[in-house]
Amino acid sequence: MARPTLEIRELRVGIDGREIVKGLDLTVRGGEVHAIMGPNGTGKSTLASALMGHPTYEVLGGTATLDGENLLEMGVDERARAGLFLAMQYPAEISGVSTANFLRTAVNARRGESDPMPVLKFHRQLKEKMERLSIDPAFAERYVNEGFSGGEKKRNEILQMSILQPRIAILDEIDSGLDIDAVKIVAQGVNDMLSEDFGVLIITHYQRILNYIRPTNVHVMMQGRIVRSGGPELAEQLEARGYEWLREELGIEEPLSQEA
Amino acid sequence: MASDTLTFPTRAQVEAVSGLEPQWLRDRRLEALEESAALALPMSKTTRFADAAFVQAGAAPSAPEVQAADVPAGVILMDLREALGEHPDLLQPHLLTVLERKNLLHAQHAALTAGGIFCYVPKDMELTGPLRATLNFTGDAYYAPHVLFLAGPRSRCDLIVELVGEDGTSPAINGAVEVVAEEGAQVRYIEFQRLPGKAQGHWPRRATVGRNASLTWILNDIGARLQVADTRTDLIGDGAESRVLATFFGGRRQHFDFRHVAVHVGQHTASDTQARGVLQGRARAVYNANTVIRPHAIGTSGWQHEHTLMLSETARADLVPELEIDEWDVKAGHAASAGPVDPMQLYFMMARGIPEVEARRLIVYGFLSSLLDSIPLAEVRERIAQLFHEKVEV
Ligand SMILES: Nc1ncnc2c1ncn2[C@@H]1O[C@H](COP(=O)(O)OP(=O)(O)OP(=O)(O)O)[C@@H](O)[C@H]1O
Ligand SMILES: [Mg+2]
Repeated sequence: MARPTLEIRELRVGIDGREIVKGLDLTVRGGEVHAIMGPNGTGKSTLASALMGHPTYEVLGGTATLDGENLLEMGVDERARAGLFLAMQYPAEISGVSTANFLRTAVNARRGESDPMPVLKFHRQLKEKMERLSIDPAFAERYVNEGFSGGEKKRNEILQMSILQPRIAILDEIDSGLDIDAVKIVAQGVNDMLSEDFGVLIITHYQRILNYIRPTNVHVMMQGRIVRSGGPELAEQLEARGYEWLREELGIEEPLSQEA
Repeated sequence: MASDTLTFPTRAQVEAVSGLEPQWLRDRRLEALEESAALALPMSKTTRFADAAFVQAGAAPSAPEVQAADVPAGVILMDLREALGEHPDLLQPHLLTVLERKNLLHAQHAALTAGGIFCYVPKDMELTGPLRATLNFTGDAYYAPHVLFLAGPRSRCDLIVELVGEDGTSPAINGAVEVVAEEGAQVRYIEFQRLPGKAQGHWPRRATVGRNASLTWILNDIGARLQVADTRTDLIGDGAESRVLATFFGGRRQHFDFRHVAVHVGQHTASDTQARGVLQGRARAVYNANTVIRPHAIGTSGWQHEHTLMLSETARADLVPELEIDEWDVKAGHAASAGPVDPMQLYFMMARGIPEVEARRLIVYGFLSSLLDSIPLAEVRERIAQLFHEKVEV
């Protein structure tokens, strides 16, 4: 299959009639690592959720395609099977369903009814990936995210990504709540997958994870738009100086006064 | 509703059903018929008994087809009609004595009962595999079948009963189950109710549990348009135990009215009721549980847990747990809840590529899992999981 391409044009997203993402353009291709940074509440998670098809977010305009296919017309599960993955900021807990059972169902949903993965092969793969991500094998039999610590949930998101092998992954604050070693492990999980066949969009507040996953592109999002794009040096600049200088440069007011 | 407007059954109908059977049974039928004049339908705010097909059937009852698997020597498992001819002395002390006659439906059943299953396990016999029997309701007829299950002292046995019928038919059933677990017996009664979608059933289950005996009811209700089933276990002997592990799954316009009662009479008795139900479409479940602790039943424990998962906004559940305690030296409690599927769970699973119907199935499976874990028979666990899996609709 050709190199994956996620293409977002003039995307506008609202919640309860309020516009949050206000005309956003972005293209992520296989082999690229894009980072989006930006102040709290500027619409980063809203963008990610709308791309995945979260039911409470309403697309008001614009387009989003994956490999030329219209994502916005697909159901959530179809988007995933088309190759989109979202590591969520707050992944759900599913009581009574083991992580292994859940993941096997997900793998087989992608492969189709006629071609389920042999159970032993699946468990071997799961074990390998868990080892690689330093996840205790006992987690395979624990219920999905139930009683997991914040960091364990994040690692579990990366485990799912590495098992499901998406074409484009969006990682929403995958580094928040992770200890220093865990950041490295998660970064390794992402780096293991990097190739022409895999592109990634990392939403983060911190430069740190970008030391381990080198971004090709860095974007700053404010008030529902990408206001500046650059290379890795842009992330370092933000880490050192915050957002204020950029607001001043762009003539953007504080978000609170704007929403009032 | 006053029973004088009900003209069913007539004495002639009762005599016709009775046929050539033993005199003691004919006497019991006629006694029930006499009592029926003074009895009314069950009082219910939620279930309209007066309209139910099993109340004013009019016709004489048909007997369901009985399929019974082979049994070890000494054990009896057969059509109840044959058992009346072959083993009347075994049936006489128990048949129609465990079921009380508190309402008109009980009396109608006793007067008209026709066919069903007789299961007998002699004292000290320990069976390794379950006994199996099926009641097949083959047509649109009226049925009044009876299941009598006698477990002798210190026996160990499991009986699996399946209630089935033909698709598209609408049997009207007023049946009853009686279980007697004698001293020291360890008994499991397992029932799969998979009646056709237009069936209507009234299905009381009664048991007496003797000294140091234990009875586990494993009940699974999937079928029928209307199914009213109340289970009552009398813990008579000291040290008697009972357990209910009930699962139900209603969809479309199914109406379930379930009740589980444990009556603690003996000392140091224990009961535990766990129920998990799933509802979709416009289904409705009324679920009642009651723990009755009689005076002097010291050292008793009685627990109830019932939870219902609603897969649709149009489904409805009414949960009414109760406790009636006449003795202070007891440990008892209940928990009940009914809640919808969490849309964030669905979203999360679908975001991993799982289609909605599969995601719902996983959620249902997860919801059942803690109850399934309590079922000691792997085949029964898997069967329930499979039946629930197949029933989920988007
Ligand atoms: N489900 C929701 N219901 C109501 N408001 C919401 C919802 N989700 C987001 N919002 C609002 O939309 C705005 C953007 O939120 P979003 O979560 O996209 O921000 P963010 O950029 O991801 O912030 P953070 O960096 O804090 O994660 C905020 O004002 C937020 O309160
Ligand atoms: Mg966010």
